[in-house]
Amino acid sequence: MAARPWTTLEALPPGSRARVVNINAPGRWSYRLLQMGFIPGAIIEIVVNNGVGPILVRIMGITISLGRGIARRILVEPI
Amino acid sequence: MVTYRMNLGKTGSQEIVVGVIGQPNVGKSTLFNLLTGRKVHVANWPGVTVEKHEGWREHHGYRLHFIDLPGIYGFSASTLEEVIARNFIVSGEADVLIVLIDSTAPERTMYLAIQALELFPRTIVVFTKSDLTHAHGIHINYEALANRLGVPVVSVSAVTETGIDRLLDLIIEVARGRIGRGKPLKIGYGELEPFISEVEEIAKRSSLSEDYPLRWLAVRLLEGDQELIRRLEKRGEKDIVKEVMRLRNEVINVFKRRPEEIMAQRRFEYLSKIVEGIVVRVEVKPGVYEWIDKVFAHPVIGSITSILLLVSLFIVVFTLNTGFPFNIILENLGYSGAAEYLEEYSLGGLMEKLIVLASGLVEGAVAGYPQWLQSLILDGVIGGVGAVLVFLPLIFLVALMLAILEDSGLSPRIAVSLHNLLSKIGISGHAVFPITLSLGCNVPAIMATRATPSYRERLRLITTLAFIPCQARLVVILAFASALRGLGSIAVIALSYLGAFLTFMLVNKALYIYDRKKGYAEEPELLLELPPIHKPIPKVIWWLTWDSVKHFLKKAGTIIFLVTLVAWALLYFSPSLSPAKELSESIGAGIAKLFAPLLIPLNMNDTQAWMMAYALIVGFLAKEAVVGTLALLAGTNTATDAIKTLGYSDPQIAALTMFIVLYVPCAATLAVVYSESRSFKTTLLTIALMLSIAYMVMIATYVIASLFI
Repeated sequence: MAARPWTTLEALPPGSRARVVNINAPGRWSYRLLQMGFIPGAIIEIVVNNGVGPILVRIMGITISLGRGIARRILVEPI
Repeated sequence: MVTYRMNLGKTGSQEIVVGVIGQPNVGKSTLFNLLTGRKVHVANWPGVTVEKHEGWREHHGYRLHFIDLPGIYGFSASTLEEVIARNFIVSGEADVLIVLIDSTAPERTMYLAIQALELFPRTIVVFTKSDLTHAHGIHINYEALANRLGVPVVSVSAVTETGIDRLLDLIIEVARGRIGRGKPLKIGYGELEPFISEVEEIAKRSSLSEDYPLRWLAVRLLEGDQELIRRLEKRGEKDIVKEVMRLRNEVINVFKRRPEEIMAQRRFEYLSKIVEGIVVRVEVKPGVYEWIDKVFAHPVIGSITSILLLVSLFIVVFTLNTGFPFNIILENLGYSGAAEYLEEYSLGGLMEKLIVLASGLVEGAVAGYPQWLQSLILDGVIGGVGAVLVFLPLIFLVALMLAILEDSGLSPRIAVSLHNLLSKIGISGHAVFPITLSLGCNVPAIMATRATPSYRERLRLITTLAFIPCQARLVVILAFASALRGLGSIAVIALSYLGAFLTFMLVNKALYIYDRKKGYAEEPELLLELPPIHKPIPKVIWWLTWDSVKHFLKKAGTIIFLVTLVAWALLYFSPSLSPAKELSESIGAGIAKLFAPLLIPLNMNDTQAWMMAYALIVGFLAKEAVVGTLALLAGTNTATDAIKTLGYSDPQIAALTMFIVLYVPCAATLAVVYSESRSFKTTLLTIALMLSIAYMVMIATYVIASLFI
């Protein structure tokens, strides 16, 4: 499979899917993200992204809302 | 070898200690209530203000002692709750551990279970919400999972109560060592294994190796566990910390990734292997309620929806309670008969009738008693506590409303919708839960700020949350507002809430600007799980509501009762300790008169000033006591009558209401501000802020109201 360009989570449109590449958040946030399933390789589906305000994603069967600042720290590969 | 320990319980039967653990939203408190039949004892974990719930149950001659551990995502020790949970597990206090997994999202929620198994072998894996698996198209082969994990697995439903008996049987079996694992689970961490072995060699020399399983200790140290490192440093084992850090950095250099990230990935990989072929999803359909998520997450519609929802819920609560505001509307439309009817048969109206009836009966019963005892019972007990109990229906309704918001899953959606607005004043959507709780009681609200990830944001919230009017203050607001005629009462209630929220926002904004200037404020951020929306479960709603009502009744029977008694005694006796001939010659009046000059700007006469000052001083301890004290002072059944009897003017009532809304809510709130901030400075700052703002707003309200009335 050809590698697609990487981007950050908050840039993805609703309905799209992506694979987590890596997380670059400060310590506390990064532990929590890992525990919530944001690990490299995990598949994320964007449920809501209005361009402003928190985005909603589904990961491992659970809906999670992320502020845009946190979402920007998550590097993903669209699929 | 399996070592287990059982105690002889008080009843003579053998006691089995069972720790209950699970991620947030897996249905832990519901199951815990079901297991213990709600015979629960609440205390704090030693040395911290995190609540510890314990409950008991007899089963087949054993006494099962359940301990509810905090809801956590994992054992990273990045929060106080995580540290409490894992320290409890390694303490050896538990005979059995039960780990809960959400049947509707097993892949994610099992993460905690395998982390628990890495630490503690005598574990039972419990799948909750089994009644929902069909609707979600999920099929789980529990037996196969039990074989792969080597521990018993059981599925339960708190709604249908299936699986509960089986779980209780399993607890006894595991405690007796008949089934289950002998050793903790060992997960392969791939490329990190050589590093883990090296850390094990180092950790062997540490005194901590006596407290934790060696491999677990090594894994956690390599993950950079802050709490373990702090403990090592405290014990003067800095060389061990240094060597571990060297290995940690080596991992980062070699793999260009942090060990904790690699390990979390390996654990999830291990999990996906474990559930392969065991968890089968027939269909992955979006939730029926996904449109609700979209509405709440909308940048404009979301916040409007949330605010409208909260306001209309409050209006419904008010209407059921006192007929307000529909009684006023009806009255102004010319239907005063209907308005009176609504008032009389509202919950509050009925409660008032009951209290008047009770006080009549008691009055007859104590007729022959000595004068002071009559006064104590009628004025002190019935007058004081009765005036507070009138508000029981209100407490019940607000608790019911909060319970529905929480159990249905609407609460976190509201948090998402208000995140953007709140971030303008420096707080995140995480603050919505504490703010909503604050409308009930400030004490649990301030404790709930713990979930706020940013420390400075949390500190600002601790300082400002008490500006949000709790139910105790609502009680006083309603008592004061009811003394006004017609639209005036609506205006005062609306003004109270608007004023309180505006103050909360302005003070937060000011503190945020200050923090930013000092350079330690971060942009508010949000990371929140949204549990599926569902119809509230009546049983759970009742539990949540009853807890809150029970808390109020207990408070009315203890703290408020005591405060009212002291307030009564101070008014009954004169400084020479003989019964005061006039109220104004009592000890209480003497104290109040010292503060009464502060009310001079409100143009009160002497009696009005000292009596109100006295009520406000008492209100510093517990806000509900203001109404009881006023009723006591005026010799009336309710505070509303007292205010009318004492003849306060409309602008005075409006101004005093604002003061009561904004000044220190109660002694308990101050105590929790101190215990949560661990700072005397923050506590004093809170008091100073509240008193000065309340005083200024009071005078401003009086001046402005006087211009119009």
